[in-house]
Amino acid sequence: MLTLYKQEVYKQIHKIGWWIALGFMILVQITFGIVGKRNPSMFAPSDLVGNSYVGGGLVMLIAIASTASIIAMEFQYGTMKQLLYRQYYRSQVFISKILTALTQLVFLQVVAGLMTVGLSLILFPSYHWATHVDGLTRGLVYLRSLGSDLLVGLLLLSVVILLSTVFKSNAAAIATGLVGYFMAQLASTLMIAMIAWQHWTKFLPFTFLLTNTQIQAPSFSRLTLFSTPMMIGGTLLYTVVFTLIAYLSFRKRSV
Amino acid sequence: MGTILTVDHLDKSFGAKQVLHGVDFFVEEGHIVALVGPNGAGKSTIMKAILGLIPVDGGGIDIKGQPVSITSHQALRNVGALIEYPGIYPFLSGRQQLQLFANQHNKQTNVDTIIKAMGMGKYIDRPAKSYSLGMKQKLGIAQALVNNPQLVILDEPMNGLDPQAVKDLRDLLRNLASHGTSFLISSHILSELEKLADDVLILNHGQIVKHATMKALEAAGGITYKIAVDNLDQAKAALTMAKSKFSVVDDAITLLDTAPGELNAALYALVNAGVAINTVAQQAHDLEGAFLAMVHDDQKEEA
Repeated sequence: MLTLYKQEVYKQIHKIGWWIALGFMILVQITFGIVGKRNPSMFAPSDLVGNSYVGGGLVMLIAIASTASIIAMEFQYGTMKQLLYRQYYRSQVFISKILTALTQLVFLQVVAGLMTVGLSLILFPSYHWATHVDGLTRGLVYLRSLGSDLLVGLLLLSVVILLSTVFKSNAAAIATGLVGYFMAQLASTLMIAMIAWQHWTKFLPFTFLLTNTQIQAPSFSRLTLFSTPMMIGGTLLYTVVFTLIAYLSFRKRSV
Repeated sequence: MGTILTVDHLDKSFGAKQVLHGVDFFVEEGHIVALVGPNGAGKSTIMKAILGLIPVDGGGIDIKGQPVSITSHQALRNVGALIEYPGIYPFLSGRQQLQLFANQHNKQTNVDTIIKAMGMGKYIDRPAKSYSLGMKQKLGIAQALVNNPQLVILDEPMNGLDPQAVKDLRDLLRNLASHGTSFLISSHILSELEKLADDVLILNHGQIVKHATMKALEAAGGITYKIAVDNLDQAKAALTMAKSKFSVVDDAITLLDTAPGELNAALYALVNAGVAINTVAQQAHDLEGAFLAMVHDDQKEEA
């Protein structure tokens, strides 16, 4: 299993596109930091930090694009047979890919977080991480937002992996993953109105894309009609369900 | 030497179409076994089943006594394979691909050895996306061999290789076989398989119709004559009327398994039909002849 995981990581770190995307994210973060420094009225430091200098959204876009291709590329390059004819089982190959996708997401979040802290220290030295906001320090609030974004990221990536088991080309999987991401974001905002109209719709997976919002603003439970622990539980449950469906799809896929 | 691979009464269907019908054969240690058959005969399906890539409907496969199935892969630890076409990550160099799939034990030595053996040193550090078809094919074969497997399964390994590369590959495989590696190889280049294989499996319509050693095949085949004529259609009609056993290869009539007197009868039929005979050449019975004879018999039965 460790061998498979190492092999997956080896492939990912040798993709030039991935490093370009990471460099782009860092560049965007720096750019927004500088723009925020010069135009404090346009971008308040607290807003920039809250979104990791726009890195938060880019983390998800990069993770989705990379995860979408993690299975589809094996079919596109004809390498799936090589992965599967060895002594390993399909389940092990699948889990190694899931772990790699998870590693990427965490790595991107860590880089975005470190960049955020670094940019804040350099550009906004007066921004004190120890200052209390709503009973928590700014540092803890930021960590909580990273954690909640990671949680929703897991749900999104489980759907992306499910999609990637269906496609035979990288481009199709990535395009569908990104379009799906924007549609899911749109749908999650519409869910508020939908839940108010039909209470049962709160059980739909789109509701759990709001988990990060509710973790940061617990009063949001009045709109989702779920407590925060239930939102967290629902997010994890849907992540597991989508991952299982993805595994079943991967297992049935002929090579 | 014992048996490394046993395929026992293998059945496989895709939907309503049964493609393998009770396929039985074995591969002995240190032997090179050629698997030949027309397109769609089931060669790749057999190879995929041996590698646990597809489920089967009946029968069993074992490698050194360990069963192999889509849910049981332990026996594949010492197996290398190239199926259909080489799978290559375009963003990696050839060396990186080999390092990716090489076992940890003696990794660098194994990678360097196979690069040298396959003659890939000049381009192995270039990105694989720049490789020609032949280079990719060599890399695919190298990937199958890099871990010194006991059993190697190669599907059309000569595809895209130039004559020198084909010869080098043949020498390499023969050398590995002499050291105990077993091979199951399918190819449409029968003349190459003939030079390479110890045993032959002829597959037709999902059934093994012949399993013999290459020597036995050559000895049992009788004599074949190749007759070049000016009017092929007229010649075919005349020979069919005369009930001669023949096939058409490269626009010439090939008389198969010719018994004494049959050549005379065939020539007599052609002359009587007014067909001009350009040349008559005697040929040693070979894999191609045996294969064509099998297909010929099968076509006659269908007719």
